[in-house]
Amino acid sequence: MRDTRRARLTLGLLLAVALILITVDNRAGSDRVLGPVRGFAGAVFGKVERVGAAVTGPITGFVGMLRDAPSARRVIGDLRKENARLRDEVSAQRLDRARSDKLDRMLGLAGLGRYRIVPAQVVARRTVAGFEDTVEIDVGAADGIRADMTVLSDQGLVGRVIQAGPASSTVALLTDPALSAGARLEGGNELGVVNGLGEAGGGGNLIKFRLLDSTVPIGVGRRIVSFGSQRSLPYVPGVPIGVVERIDNTPGEVTRTAYARLFTDFSALDVVGVVVAAPKRDPRDSVLPPVPPPPKPRDERRPGEHRTGQRSLEEGFGLRRPAPPRDERAREDMAAGEGRGGRN
Amino acid sequence: MLRNVTPALLLFAVLVLQVVLVNRLLFTWAPDLVLLTVAVLATRRGPLPGAVIGFCGGLAYDLLPPANHTLGQYALVLCFLGYAAGRAGDRLPLLVMAGCGVLAPGMVAGLGALLGAPGVTWGVLATAWPRAAVCNLVAAPLVLWAVNVLYGGHRRRAGRTELVPGYRRGAA
Repeated sequence: MRDTRRARLTLGLLLAVALILITVDNRAGSDRVLGPVRGFAGAVFGKVERVGAAVTGPITGFVGMLRDAPSARRVIGDLRKENARLRDEVSAQRLDRARSDKLDRMLGLAGLGRYRIVPAQVVARRTVAGFEDTVEIDVGAADGIRADMTVLSDQGLVGRVIQAGPASSTVALLTDPALSAGARLEGGNELGVVNGLGEAGGGGNLIKFRLLDSTVPIGVGRRIVSFGSQRSLPYVPGVPIGVVERIDNTPGEVTRTAYARLFTDFSALDVVGVVVAAPKRDPRDSVLPPVPPPPKPRDERRPGEHRTGQRSLEEGFGLRRPAPPRDERAREDMAAGEGRGGRN
Repeated sequence: MLRNVTPALLLFAVLVLQVVLVNRLLFTWAPDLVLLTVAVLATRRGPLPGAVIGFCGGLAYDLLPPANHTLGQYALVLCFLGYAAGRAGDRLPLLVMAGCGVLAPGMVAGLGALLGAPGVTWGVLATAWPRAAVCNLVAAPLVLWAVNVLYGGHRRRAGRTELVPGYRRGAA
């Protein structure tokens, strides 16, 4: 090795530069010294990523189609069934339009809280187990996007903008372990904090929900909405987050921990919306999907005593959820809720 | 000149490909093509260019937009691995790439843990590290083949058997 001395010197120098970069970036905190560097790189790479996404878009679509092929037949069957059901409902609704109109007005009043959003397309993604779960979207400062804006999908909360470039922005996802958001249980004032689990979430669609008051019963199947931050930055209130799936019973702890399945499918993020203007008043639970799904068969898998204990506790407090839609009244409710349209 | 421009362009293309296509299609089962490309380039070029390629590639990887980690993490890891891969030489490039592919996820996670990243725990490492290593091992032959095709067959490192005696080695 003729140049091993020089090689070692250069290696040492480069390692030192990397360490200095780490130190500067880590110590500088939020107002980064290296902000302009990141901004420039974001502008350059963002443009190329948009072009790359446009070129590879058909490939992504084709692979997605192939991946969905086995379930497509089942989906077609389900849709046929749903179609028949909906046709029945439409005819039933036509019969008593007057009552339906009244219900519609009521629901319209409840659903007044609207978010103004800018739609965006996900162009790139990074997932490193443990530290980051981020996506790049194709709107930026030119479209009115600023850092710390809420990002949502058609089903629920996605995350928040952490950096807005000129024509693209970086979004930290809710599954990122570094991200936490204020959350509220549906139909009450019990507050908590939602934390991403990252890799520990198993498949990435589980998050941790810590209820600040450990005496409040949670109950499997209760839904979580965002609580909203001060001046609606970074989170606007009322966005659906997920459904409680599992509860950790740890007596003596200050907070109560539950695990919730997110409404948004984070493994197939495509079209998202960035909230550029918060609703004038908190929409409370009106943005949640209309009807809670019927009890999952998954619950039978864990016949633990804490599950039954949970249920009896809830009954004791008189806090049981409304039963799944079996009577006509609930069906109407659902139909009217679907007719409302434009949930977000 | 061309010797330095080609790896730079190749790395740029691989960086964009990684976040635009590979990560989105394979989600958590995505191999780290950037790491493998740096490793194979380093085995072809030697320790000093390997370190420089690793540093530059890692820095670009740190700056690549959907990033939320501390700047310099990948630069440090890839600089070290580039140097090591260059030292190991190009006799068994696949073995070197496999070693890098297995080591790198652990090194990145370890560095993250040192910097206080909240999600790095033993439980996460126990599932994520083997999975990332397996993905890298599967992708390594493909990357090696692709780079060999791009460079036109397996070329020896410039120097020993070259006809031009004063050909500068290791000038990156």
